[in-house]
Amino acid sequence: MRNLSRILIIALVAIGATAAVQAQDTAELMKQSHLAYYYAGDDGKSEVIMRMVDKKGKERTKEFIMLRLDTEEGGDQKYYTYFKKPSDISRLTFMVHKSATGNDKRWIYVPSVDLVKPISADDKNSSFVGSDFSYEDVSGRHWTEDNHTLVGDSTMDGKDVYVIESVPKKAYKGFARRISYIDKSNMLPLKEEYFSKKDKLVKIMRAEKIENVDGIITITSRSMENVKKSRKTTVEFSQINYNVGVTDDIFTERYLKTPPRQYVK
Amino acid sequence: MRKGITEFSIKHPWIVLSVAVLISVFFAIQFPKIKIDTDPQNMLEVDEPTRLFHSATKEDFALSDFIAVGVVAEPTAFTADMLNRLYNITAEIEEIEGVIVEDIMAPSTIDDIKQGAGGALVIEPLMEEEIETDADARYVFGRIMDNPIVRGKIASEDGKAIAIFVPLESKDISHRVAGEIREITDRLGGGATFHIAGLPLAEDSFGSEMFTQMAYSAPAAMLIIFLLLLMFFRQMKIIIAPMVVAMMAVIWSMGLLILSGFTVHIMSSMIPIFLIPIAVLNSIHILSEFSDHYKKFKNKKETIRHAINELFLPMLFTSATTVAGFLSLALTPIPPVRVFGIFVAFGVLVAWFLSLVINPAIMVLLSEKSLRRFDSADNSGGVLARIMHSFRSFAGGRNRVIIGVAVVVLAIAGYGLTLIVVNDNPVKWFKTSHPIRIADVAMNNHLAGTYMNYLVFEGDDTDRMKAPEVENYIQAFQRELEKDAIVGSTTGLPDIIKKVRYELFGADSAQMIIPTTQNEVAQMLFLFEMSGGDPDDLYKFVTPDYDRANLWVQLRNGDNMAVSGVVERGNRFLAENPPPEGVTVQWAGLPYINVEWQRQMVNGMRNSLAGSYFVVLFMMIFLFRSLRWGLISMLPLTITVMAIYAMIGYIGKPYDMPVAVLSSLTLGLSIDFAIHFIQRLRMIHARTGDFSVAFHEIFESAGRAISRNVLVIAVGFIPMLFSTLVPYITVGSFFLAIMAVSGLVTLLLLPAISKTFSRALFPVKNSPELEPVPVETVTTK
Repeated sequence: MRNLSRILIIALVAIGATAAVQAQDTAELMKQSHLAYYYAGDDGKSEVIMRMVDKKGKERTKEFIMLRLDTEEGGDQKYYTYFKKPSDISRLTFMVHKSATGNDKRWIYVPSVDLVKPISADDKNSSFVGSDFSYEDVSGRHWTEDNHTLVGDSTMDGKDVYVIESVPKKAYKGFARRISYIDKSNMLPLKEEYFSKKDKLVKIMRAEKIENVDGIITITSRSMENVKKSRKTTVEFSQINYNVGVTDDIFTERYLKTPPRQYVK
Repeated sequence: MRKGITEFSIKHPWIVLSVAVLISVFFAIQFPKIKIDTDPQNMLEVDEPTRLFHSATKEDFALSDFIAVGVVAEPTAFTADMLNRLYNITAEIEEIEGVIVEDIMAPSTIDDIKQGAGGALVIEPLMEEEIETDADARYVFGRIMDNPIVRGKIASEDGKAIAIFVPLESKDISHRVAGEIREITDRLGGGATFHIAGLPLAEDSFGSEMFTQMAYSAPAAMLIIFLLLLMFFRQMKIIIAPMVVAMMAVIWSMGLLILSGFTVHIMSSMIPIFLIPIAVLNSIHILSEFSDHYKKFKNKKETIRHAINELFLPMLFTSATTVAGFLSLALTPIPPVRVFGIFVAFGVLVAWFLSLVINPAIMVLLSEKSLRRFDSADNSGGVLARIMHSFRSFAGGRNRVIIGVAVVVLAIAGYGLTLIVVNDNPVKWFKTSHPIRIADVAMNNHLAGTYMNYLVFEGDDTDRMKAPEVENYIQAFQRELEKDAIVGSTTGLPDIIKKVRYELFGADSAQMIIPTTQNEVAQMLFLFEMSGGDPDDLYKFVTPDYDRANLWVQLRNGDNMAVSGVVERGNRFLAENPPPEGVTVQWAGLPYINVEWQRQMVNGMRNSLAGSYFVVLFMMIFLFRSLRWGLISMLPLTITVMAIYAMIGYIGKPYDMPVAVLSSLTLGLSIDFAIHFIQRLRMIHARTGDFSVAFHEIFESAGRAISRNVLVIAVGFIPMLFSTLVPYITVGSFFLAIMAVSGLVTLLLLPAISKTFSRALFPVKNSPELEPVPVETVTTK
């Protein structure tokens, strides 16, 4: 009798431990994926074409140049964006100091009134430049903000993927639940499905094109489908360079008004 | 043929009844397939341009119909307690099925555009969490007042009222959602008075209350009619016939309507109420005639033959004129009115036919013994008979006075018609004591209005709306519309641009202006999108490619007359101030749609009324083979229509949808008595050749039948006067007025005219074109 309960206890502990280990492992998987996608290289530069297709199939595009510098791998980052098109916002620039732990800082330079203005940074779920991507979709949601569960393994377009469910630790407006499909070979997210509080599928991120850039496997085109609003935004990255030696001083107010010539032409 | 039908019923009553019951069962089993449609928008054709544009506008700017939930509190609604209650109420409203969560406008859901820490431009929810102190509440109030995009919408200028706008996936769930909101505010509102208002709610609630009302008033009318008939005829078995005829006419026409795949609309739900009296009318004439003459014949079959023979032509013509009145509705441009007209017309035909076959069939089945007692008190010395005697002496003795009074009444009525005000508002289909009316008053007194119209500016090219001259034009339009007292607020793209610019320059009022370059306009809007502004909020006012802009015009009053005033003001402005090149301006919105269908309805009704008036006149000339009699027979109808509509003009009741539709009923019903009276007066005269005998006798037969009809229909619909829905009260009042006026005119003016002009109207020789009188008919003593 005593033996039996002992066995039971051992079994329960073992199961609990396995679950704990598994949760930790899954968080580790998410971390690797996050680093692979958002922290590729120490810095990066690319030209971006953003296409927004509304529910009637009408398309609008924005073109901009993006610079990124990782202050710390998996930690703080700095982003600089220079808008080229549409022409009525050309020369507008935008800068983010992303904090992995606290609030980000954002500035915008408005050329028509020649003014640099700090702007709201609390709401990471708000739309990025009016597209279906949120700020967070662009710069990444830190993996420590969610609890992750490995739902299983699967294949997607012939690739082996991890299927991971993430639930925010604190109630969050952006989503109530997210399912990520992560390519086992390079840890890049091939697809992410976002569910609302009512567990309705609201948006889907898809990696549309994956290329090898300077030895780093990179998603060069990805889309966000807004299921609820029947809209879709696709961003295509070109002229991607990693480790170009972007310096910290680029990410200051001075360069907002006068773009750095070496990167912005 | 007429003899054939009656003879068949007399010989084979069971066959007639069985077939009628079988057909009724067939139509009755169609009822479960009923499709209900309470959307007044369907008053317009599906492809009507106004309606198409409205739908396109809703689609393009992702607009939804909404209901408004409001609370009013003294001295202020902006306390921490109230805002926190609203916070929790809003959170629960978000859980209701069919609510478009992201578009809810409430203190806790709207974005504030403000100066954040370090002079940052911040767009974030105004009240993301519950607040602590009343000072926080005052801060929230201050922020709302500093934001032209929401000011007036969700808070009144005096801070006493707060509103939550709840957008819905479709407006036909308004009633249900309002019920669920009511439950939430009762539970979480802390005893404060909450109001729920909005045009979609009024429209949808009317639809649902309408059916309750119908389920109650149709049977109530039937019951009262039954009791009155019982009082008149004292014979339970025999008065089953009119009831059966009325019920079958209703079942057949509603069954056919449902079978044909038409939806039961606000209009067609009234079909039973219209059909019951019409169906009962013919039967009462037959019963009257039967009961008046049974004593003489002492034989039910003979009495039936006599009654049908006397009544066949008048019944044919009263039914034909009623059919003509309702069929004319088929020519209106309003689809539900067309369906209504056609199926009432069908029902009238059914009622006519059934009263010819069912009444005889049922009478034949009654034993002669039970009919012995069928000798009602009114027949010779009863109250009705005595009343008719006084009518007779009055009409005969004061004939010229009566004609004079009629002329004066016509003149007074003619003036009254010019006072008619055309107006409608679905909210006012409810009595002033109804919660929807109370909410309407309370919320529109305090806030910028619960009625939303839209003014769409359409450019010829992408980005056209970013042009400063277009923005300035929209702004000028706003200032013009706001001059109208019922315009509570206007909100458009210029307000967003200016608000962003104001905050960009550190809340400097001098900078709250529309930029001078297109680039700057574009950059202000881009700034909005970058600073946390929801692009979907922007797209409520402009299309994503900026070729069209949408100005929200919020109205405190949904009366069509008031809305028309705003629309006309806009049209005048448009004519005097042409828009920038390539830009066109057009209205949309539920209030505007209501104005449009009212316009079509009023015109359509006027034409169909005029048309059927002349159709009826020609039918009368044909029936009486006489121009003079044709014209005289139109008098009760003319006076009734004019008197009733003049009354509407004098008491200031708006000429609305029910009033418009009732014109065809008035026309169809008020000719009936004249037909019975004149036709039978002439028949008696033809038979006896003596006008004074005819004048005497008509008050005994037709006179009593008419007065019975007046009482049965007028009293039968009195329950409708106690309805909570104004259109039902209107319908009930009309039945009463039609019966009273056309009955009085028929029983006073027609005899007066006959008497005054008896020599011209009743030549000594019998009119050869009238039917030969059956020999067996006995003249009165």
